[in-house]
Amino acid sequence: MPSEPRIPTEPTLEELSAYLDHELDDDARARVAEHVAGCPDCQARLDGLRQTAYAIRALPMETPTRTFTIPAKPRESFRWAPVAGWIGGVAAAMLIIVVGVQNLHFPGTATTAGEGTALHSNAAPAARPAAPLAQSGAGTQMYDSQTASKAVLSNAATVSDPRNPSRMLTLSTNAASYSSTGTMTVELRLLGLPPGRTALVSLLLERNGFAVLLPTGSGPLDASGYRGTYQLANLALPHPVAGSYTLIAIEWLPDGNGELIARLPITIQG
Amino acid sequence: MDDRDLVGRARRGDPEAFTQLMMQYQVPLYNMALRMVGGPDDAADIAQEAFTRAWQKIRTLRDAPFKSWLFQIAANLCYDHFRRGRRYGEMPDEESNKVIGLGILTPDPQERAEASERNRLVRESIEALDHDMRLAIILRDVNGMAYDEIAGVLGVPLGTVKSRIARARAQVQEHLQRYPDFFPSTREDAHAE
Repeated sequence: MPSEPRIPTEPTLEELSAYLDHELDDDARARVAEHVAGCPDCQARLDGLRQTAYAIRALPMETPTRTFTIPAKPRESFRWAPVAGWIGGVAAAMLIIVVGVQNLHFPGTATTAGEGTALHSNAAPAARPAAPLAQSGAGTQMYDSQTASKAVLSNAATVSDPRNPSRMLTLSTNAASYSSTGTMTVELRLLGLPPGRTALVSLLLERNGFAVLLPTGSGPLDASGYRGTYQLANLALPHPVAGSYTLIAIEWLPDGNGELIARLPITIQG
Repeated sequence: MDDRDLVGRARRGDPEAFTQLMMQYQVPLYNMALRMVGGPDDAADIAQEAFTRAWQKIRTLRDAPFKSWLFQIAANLCYDHFRRGRRYGEMPDEESNKVIGLGILTPDPQERAEASERNRLVRESIEALDHDMRLAIILRDVNGMAYDEIAGVLGVPLGTVKSRIARARAQVQEHLQRYPDFFPSTREDAHAE
């Protein structure tokens, strides 16, 4: 007499949850799948766990409320650095990093430091380069007239991703030197992003290991990039303000990979 | 450049390499702390302290993955936070705190309000979990870590991770089911996948 098909043992809560996460070995996964396929109750249990996990995963990833800093050297006693602002002196060389990881384009999130706008919302399409910029060497930064001529702004640098040379970041400004009360226009171009992809970008003005964040709108940028203007008098620059700075743009993909760093020398005169 | 290269440079005292690691992990680390302790300021304190300790101890890191090690530091700081008797803070509200998430833009004000209310209920349900379960499910469903990564962070066997996540999900589900509109069409949605 043929035996009747046997439904595998009812999975435990742990097995259903791990099944959802693809964290069961092959045998257990097959056993759970077979059972669930023939058991409406377990289908309902699995659906409930799945919907719960989705609800938690739908929580927004939020932006840190402040900058994070590190001491100049590891394993060194240190004093906490101010969260924002500048500390003079080489001994206190700290790195101030801010990530403006914001995704939703809410109005009214601009800070007083800048008046940036995302190009995809404001820029005229005609202002975009007609063709991708010339490639720089892998992982290197390029300052040349070709880049400058294709960028909207005159002072430009381009870096490319060594793993994907067609992906490039161009950082440009309307000048290389400004008065301390001047207005600096900055443009970012993100070339080679896959269609529909966005990238996270931080823009910093750095001197002697300290940096101030320049806000870049309210969310990740797409291939259309970003242009913003910054009143230098409104930035928390060190005193004396005059000096040699580096404008740094850091782009990376939301999965945390593929960072590109472009640097531009900027002079601020007193 | 992957973590190993950056960690190698950071171990040799390169602050720029560590800075890149910080940039890579500050959002997930901050959000882990935020979902654990609730308050944005406390979460930022924990993230800051975790980065500082990691930087100071980076030379002691050998073969362990940096990510797990960093999150372990932050997880311990979260437990310290609870041990110091700080109450679980008011759960952050993305509207009032102007914190903007990585979710999908919901342009309709009513839909945004509904999404905000759903998120509030989810945060409330996570808050109701004990610390161990809370951390496990945050690492899984907020940070997207694999079970073995979570085991590395928590220093517990895989079976414990599996159990904590499952029980946490069951408790969160039970909490959310108190609100009849939360799972309006669970079965249909699931079957449509």
